[in-house]
Amino acid sequence: MTKEFTIFSLALKNLKRKPLRTGILIVAIGLLVSVLVFALSFVRRVDSSIRITSDRLGSDLLIVPTGSRGAAEDVLLENKVKTFYMDKGIIDRVKNIKGIDRLTYQTYLVTITGVCCDVPETIVVAFNQDTDFVIKPWLTKKLGRELKKGEAIVGSESAFNIRLGLTEVDSVLFGNIFKMVGVLDKTGTGLDNAIFIDDKNIDDILQKGKADIKPGQISVIFAKVQKGYDPYEVAGNIEDSIIEADTVARKDIGKSLINTLRDINRIFSVTVMLASILSIFLVWAVFSAIANERSKEVGIMRAIGAKENHVVRIFFLEVFVIGSIGSILGIVSGTALSFLLSKSFIILKNLSNDLSIAERIFIGILSLLAGTGICIVGALSPIQRIKKLEPLLAIKEE
Amino acid sequence: MSQIEIIDILKIYTIGDLNIRAVDNVSMKIEKGEFLSVVGHSGSGKTTLISIMGGIIRPTTGRVLFEGIDISSLNDEKLSEYRNEKIGFMFQFASLLPILTAKENVLLPRIFSPKGKSKNGKEAEEYLDMVGIGEKINAYPSQLSGGQQRRVAIARALMNDPQVILADEPTGDLDEETEAEIMELFKRLNKEKKVTFIFITHNLDLARQAQKQIRMTHGVIKEI
Ligand SMILES: Nc1ncnc2c1ncn2[C@@H]1O[C@H](COP(=O)(O)OP(=O)(O)OP(=O)(O)O)[C@@H](O)[C@H]1O
Ligand SMILES: [Mg+2]
Repeated sequence: MTKEFTIFSLALKNLKRKPLRTGILIVAIGLLVSVLVFALSFVRRVDSSIRITSDRLGSDLLIVPTGSRGAAEDVLLENKVKTFYMDKGIIDRVKNIKGIDRLTYQTYLVTITGVCCDVPETIVVAFNQDTDFVIKPWLTKKLGRELKKGEAIVGSESAFNIRLGLTEVDSVLFGNIFKMVGVLDKTGTGLDNAIFIDDKNIDDILQKGKADIKPGQISVIFAKVQKGYDPYEVAGNIEDSIIEADTVARKDIGKSLINTLRDINRIFSVTVMLASILSIFLVWAVFSAIANERSKEVGIMRAIGAKENHVVRIFFLEVFVIGSIGSILGIVSGTALSFLLSKSFIILKNLSNDLSIAERIFIGILSLLAGTGICIVGALSPIQRIKKLEPLLAIKEE
Repeated sequence: MSQIEIIDILKIYTIGDLNIRAVDNVSMKIEKGEFLSVVGHSGSGKTTLISIMGGIIRPTTGRVLFEGIDISSLNDEKLSEYRNEKIGFMFQFASLLPILTAKENVLLPRIFSPKGKSKNGKEAEEYLDMVGIGEKINAYPSQLSGGQQRRVAIARALMNDPQVILADEPTGDLDEETEAEIMELFKRLNKEKKVTFIFITHNLDLARQAQKQIRMTHGVIKEI
């Protein structure tokens, strides 16, 4: 019996007197918050995947064949297997555009099991090691040297997906034997699903005639813009002067994905909004009932010296306990839901990035605030009414 | 300066077209340490009068001075502190919170007290002992008889060491023996701690035990 009796214990006792009602409120808030957490996780995950990809690619502009913007994004963001080609001569023409600092290019080939290669359908990226700044950071980290001719290194996901994890194994790619020399770390881009070889291998591949590519073709140019130049302006100049090429600025990578996402986003927003209104209404109704039930008790408390402030505090503590327990339950279930369902959403399955712990914590805190906030908003007017009760009631009503 | 001075107190209740002058221009002075009884017919305005003194009901007109300070000039914060610290109120009707044990009910005024918290549950238990239900400290009001509940309410009124106790038929549903004990307790507190007592009763014998008796009729007081 040394337990201290405080305003908080009074609030807890109040909650316990109608456990079912308290439970229903907690569950309602929990459901709302779990929808919120799920929606936020979904949207943030797509969003951050796109951002990380555009950052990791390390270039200000992508230059792709006209009409291939979407395909390029599919490859870089969503791990889809697609190819697109343009003439190698475009490299020099891009170089001459004002504001271009440096550039490198890549050629994408597709393996087809049984026909040309040992491996299942995968993108093979032939890149130019002399100019490259996209793959190199990862390569240096893993291999510590350049890739030699006849060597290949695989992305982290493809190592997993197509069991290319074994190094020092020879594989046939487009009729040529390649030695697998390692696995790159996860980059968080679509390139994690690719196999990388040096550009110099292209001639051998062409000779064997097992790849669907003609001489002098490349897929994409990555360009950095000189300091002081606006990437959009440079991109505009490129498109104006090179009809065969489209550009994607770093900030626009994933724009089409974001656009499709916008509708999903809207559905989420409407759902969360309706659920919020419903919860506010529920909290309001419950606390209005509570206000009536307890008017005599509040009158007694006021008569023996409770200030308006004390009464408000008691009720807000109750609201707060409901809101925070509900929110925490919601955060747990919403997070679990986002893990479970991520496997059944194609759009998520193809993204390489999961949310970081920090981002999950951020979503958690945001949802906690929202859940508790909604409880408080709902209870505001009933509590305002309770606060104004006269102590008088205490000495009357039997 | 009197401890409590009420000046031209008028309280009108309006029910429909009907105006009830529950307290009708009453003025009186109460000195510190007085022991006062109030008698009068049902509906004569006794409860209304002491509720006004206790800062629970606001009068229609008139002023209540406590140690020279007009309590109607106080804001909610200060008025609540007045009710909490200066006054111990024993209500005519059951006034315990059903979700709290006897002990917690007694402790309740303390958690609203600005100086509170420093004292633990010991004091509450002592007061419950004093009113003769020390063995029921963990019982809920629903587990107590009417008389036992009333005694808890008495203990609660004593909790914050009030200077004035306003008791509305405090021994209403108590047996004679307990009634006598409670009266002894009141007298002792009155003598030892100079606590002022104003108690309403329908029992004229009890009323006569007070130093000063007041009779109330139709909202008007008369000393007897
Ligand atoms: N809240 C109220 N609204 C309207 N009229 C009221 C209210 N409270 C009291 N009255 C009226 O005021 C008058 C005085 O009531 P009060 O409760 O002070 O009487 P009392 O002397 O305490 O009576 P009793 O001995 O029965 O407790 C009564 O006529 C009562 O009907
Ligand atoms: Mg009365």
